[in-house]
Formats: sequence, C-alpha cells, structure tokens
Amino acid sequence: MQPNVTKKRKGYLGALALMLILLGLYWGLVQAPPDAYQGDTQRIMYLHIPSILTAYLSFFLVFVGSCLYLWKREKRDDILAYSAAEIGVLFTALTIIEGSIWGKPTWGVWWTWDARLTLTAILLLIFVGYLMLRSLIEEESRAASAAAILGIIGFLDIPMVHMSVYWWRTLHQPPSILRPDKAPWDNVHPAMLTALAINFVGFILLYFYLLSLRFRLGEITEEIKTRRLDRGQ
Amino acid sequence: MGAWGYVFLAYGIVWGALLWYFFSLKRRFRRAEIELAELRSVEGLQSHAEK
Repeated sequence: MQPNVTKKRKGYLGALALMLILLGLYWGLVQAPPDAYQGDTQRIMYLHIPSILTAYLSFFLVFVGSCLYLWKREKRDDILAYSAAEIGVLFTALTIIEGSIWGKPTWGVWWTWDARLTLTAILLLIFVGYLMLRSLIEEESRAASAAAILGIIGFLDIPMVHMSVYWWRTLHQPPSILRPDKAPWDNVHPAMLTALAINFVGFILLYFYLLSLRFRLGEITEEIKTRRLDRGQ
Repeated sequence: MGAWGYVFLAYGIVWGALLWYFFSLKRRFRRAEIELAELRSVEGLQSHAEK
C-alpha cells in the first residue's frame, strides 16, 4: 500500500469513491427491496457493514504500522498508524451510532450491553485512548512507542468483536453474508447483495482517499516540526 | 418515527460526519501547507542573506 499517491491520482480516487457512494445510495435507498421482516429500516445495513469493515481495515493498518515502527523505528510507519487510527475511530463511532439507530426500531432500545456492542464500544475507547495518549506524552518517540503498543493491543479486540456472536448469546444477529454454511447469494436477495457490495467498495475507496490526505498531512506536520527544531523554535 | 425516519437519520448522520471530517481535514491540510511554505520562504531568505 502506498498512501502518499500523487495529487492527480488522489483526485481520481476521490472521484471514483464519490461515484460509487452516489451509486450505492441509489441502490441502497431505491433499488434494493425492503427486508421481509424488518422492512425499510434494514437499509441501514448498507452503511453499517461497510462502516465496521472499513474500521477493521483501518485498525489492521494501525497494527501493521505499529509493528513496523517498533521494529524499524521509521517515522513513516508511525504516521501511517496515527493516520489510520484517527480515521478508524471515526468509522467505529459511526458504526455504533448507525447500530443504535437501527436497534431502536428493531430491538426497541437504542443501546444494550450485548457482547458485540460492548466489545465494539471497548474498541472505540481503546483507540480514543490511543489518540489521547499521543497528545498527552510530550516526547515524540516515547509517545509513538507507547501508542504503537496500545495500537497492537487494540487490534487484538477485533477478532473478539467478530467472534462474540458465536461465543456468547447475543441480541446482535450472527453474520448474514459471511456465513460458513451458506454462500452469500443463497442467503441474500441479489439486489441487496449488489447494494452492499457497491457501498462496501465505495467506503473502501473513500477510506483510502481520506487516508492519503491524512498521511500527507502527517508528513507535512513532521517536516514543519523538523524545520522548527532546526531553527531552534 | 417511521422506518424511513430512522433510515434518513442514520444516512444523514453518517454522510454529515464524513463530509465534516473531509472538510476539516482539507482545512488542516491547507493550514499546514501554508505554514510549511512560510518556513521554507523564511529559510530561503536567510540562506540568501548569508550568501
């Protein structure tokens, strides 16, 4: 992965993400049929699943960047981890909000201390802590090392979040798409699957677009700090 | 609130938050670029004066 792509490539990536997002909105809100049991509220799924998968991807990049930073001590890996953590927090918070809005008409409550929900909230808190840690420790390299360790520990929560619906009795449903016993097209209406796939790809492209911007911002900020240090400011 | 009310609430919050983040990122990016350009020009002037 190369987050520092050229400005032109970033523009193409952003335009492609926007096109897929608009197409995804059309498929999710117009083209896909309502669910047989939940009706139209199920359309929140076209945001909910892409959001959490994007958050997982983001925290995986935090994990990779953190491991590389602890191993090689290259600032570039730390910038990648920091950038991915910031965007991952945004997507996790959005997942919880969407889930809460979906939960109210489906379960009758905005929130419940279900294993999946609680572990997702813990995931969010770990990475909010990661961002706070970076601003609390003044010495740059210490902050980066401490954050890298927390980033690695935080990533380990993801398999628990994913498996929680199998390990515990939960209100949150088990996966409908990625089931070991059935292919997705045997279980879900093709139009619903198409809407989900378009939204998923749109979210991933948007994610890489935002990551490339945030990564470049991290590089510029680093250069500013270095130049200020050189000038003795 | 009806089914569509919940759907539009969720879509509104998600896309509103993503747009807000995108524009705030752009703003931070622009500020950092301006600051870096200023530092570079000051350094350029200093090295020119030293010569």
